[in-house]
Amino acid sequence: MTLINPYKPEPAVIQAIRSETPDTTTYTMKFRDLQEFSFEPGQFNMITLFGYGEAPISISSAPSEDGTFEHTVRHVGNVTNAMAGLREGDTLGVRGAYGTGWPMSQLEGQDVLIIAGGIGLAPLRPVIQAVIGDRRKGNGRYGSMEILYGARTPADCLFKDDYEEWRSAEGVNLLLTVDAVPQGMDWEHNVGVVTALFDQMKSRPADTIVLTCGPEVMMKFVVRGLLERGFSPDRLYLSLERRMSCGVKKCGNCQIGSKFVCKDGPVFAYAELMTLSEEVL
Amino acid sequence: MAMPRAFAEAQRLLRLDKSRLDDFVEALKKVADVYGPVRKGVQHSFQLLEDKRPELDYHTTILPPKKLLHEPFEKLFSFEEDRVEVVQSVPKRPQVLLGIHPCDVHAIEILDQVYGGEYEDPYYQKRREQTVIIALNCTTVHDNCFCSSLGTGPELKSGYDLLMTDLGDQFLVEVGTPRGAELVAEAGLEPAPRVTLVDKERRLSEARNRLRKRLLTQDLDQLLKDNFRHPVWEELRHECLACGSCTMVCPTCFCYNTVDVLNLDLKSGWRERVWDSCLLLDYAQVAQGMNFRKDRDARIKHRVYHKLVYYEPQFGTLGCVGCGRCIDTCIKGIDITEIIRELRGE
Repeated sequence: MTLINPYKPEPAVIQAIRSETPDTTTYTMKFRDLQEFSFEPGQFNMITLFGYGEAPISISSAPSEDGTFEHTVRHVGNVTNAMAGLREGDTLGVRGAYGTGWPMSQLEGQDVLIIAGGIGLAPLRPVIQAVIGDRRKGNGRYGSMEILYGARTPADCLFKDDYEEWRSAEGVNLLLTVDAVPQGMDWEHNVGVVTALFDQMKSRPADTIVLTCGPEVMMKFVVRGLLERGFSPDRLYLSLERRMSCGVKKCGNCQIGSKFVCKDGPVFAYAELMTLSEEVL
Repeated sequence: MAMPRAFAEAQRLLRLDKSRLDDFVEALKKVADVYGPVRKGVQHSFQLLEDKRPELDYHTTILPPKKLLHEPFEKLFSFEEDRVEVVQSVPKRPQVLLGIHPCDVHAIEILDQVYGGEYEDPYYQKRREQTVIIALNCTTVHDNCFCSSLGTGPELKSGYDLLMTDLGDQFLVEVGTPRGAELVAEAGLEPAPRVTLVDKERRLSEARNRLRKRLLTQDLDQLLKDNFRHPVWEELRHECLACGSCTMVCPTCFCYNTVDVLNLDLKSGWRERVWDSCLLLDYAQVAQGMNFRKDRDARIKHRVYHKLVYYEPQFGTLGCVGCGRCIDTCIKGIDITEIIRELRGE
């Protein structure tokens, strides 16, 4: 019997490194040997730094034709801190793509509301790129898209280089907010938590699918605020973070109730989370 | 699959005189590594039977036979810089698990589900393929057994290559698979008259009557769903020490953590997986200290719910086989059957 070994990382080479914020970096990677690799927006890879360990990290780019993919990493843990020392041309281990991503087919014909906090924008960037890409091709698969993004300070905002492109795309509304603006820093957008942007948004409950990712406390208030505004729990999707040691329903670490976040998630409809005994938000 | 002729013709009912047990084990050793229950202090443990004799009148073992299929520490691969080489410490010869009780056989069948599915675990699967199960029905029971409540004992109906039942001065040996038939042919066991089945039934029925503990499974799912905020969990927050012993001795617990170990050159090393426990503080902790089950009641509750509610949608079966090891081992005397009785208001 020959079995594929699901735990063996494949070598991937770093093509480019872009510093996003003082503690967050985007790495563009490509598999060195592996030819076949496909993924959906919202899926993640298990990333290995040999000798340090392995961590689940969202893919932060839309699928591309040249086989490259991006990971936006906040340097806060064992593996991610070690990643800060990587250089272009370095090789690391990658296996994936794993998990259930954003409900892309359900977004068709709908308006899209994206609400992200901090590093939570990373798994949503592939959706933004896919929706804008679709519009540019003139396919018109999706309705309008509104992006609400909150970060701690202006310097902590991710993907600043993308904002101009996002804003200039037809039917896209980008609303930014930060918790605080350090003295002497320019900031022409909102100050406050991300839910404070709700009064400015145009998305209507009946036409909109909501995708959100951020700290759980943020998502808790996002969900509460949207439900109050008449959004239905089966049209709210959340991407959750959990500890994972395998990505393939074996190590058990990521379970919430009977759900394996690595496989049944990381994206869940809020309506599904409501059925679990174990409280999520 | 058609039965090989050898099996079709083989006797399904055989007998083994206890005086000939050593000969039987020796015959098994010729073709396989034989593991059986041997004494370890005042308890028993499944060990390789090199020069040791199996003690088949054992009550239970410290660790379940799971340790021979999903090892407590297992190398997944070795690496040197970015070169990866898969390591598989699969036994070269088949391994016989001799004298494992019905609850433990049921637990292995659950692990087969866990390590199967869409992403098969090659380490478990290869070892499992090499494994021969010579089960032993329970004609004696101990205080913390509650298998009869879960339909996992004291009698085994399937899942064995050979099944033994203690009939006093001899064992009844029933053949379950062609592989089992080959082994008994090798060992030259004699046919047993059908009447021995009556003796077997009597002894197992007596054992069943001696089981004192119960875990009533009727509407268990609903009971637990309705009692997620029952005061018993608050009590357990203070009671449970979160030591994780119950998960280490559990025959169906499967969680693990991975660790990279470096050699002294700091370039080469290996990744191994190590049994993990949902009772431990850092089990559900992520970077920056966010912990999704920070409180001890949340952790023991997760364990109880996983065993009695979540396994069903995940693997199509309850996750508890009633072996009683978690009760044996808990230094605070926490008893899953008592928790359920309390939730039922008994």
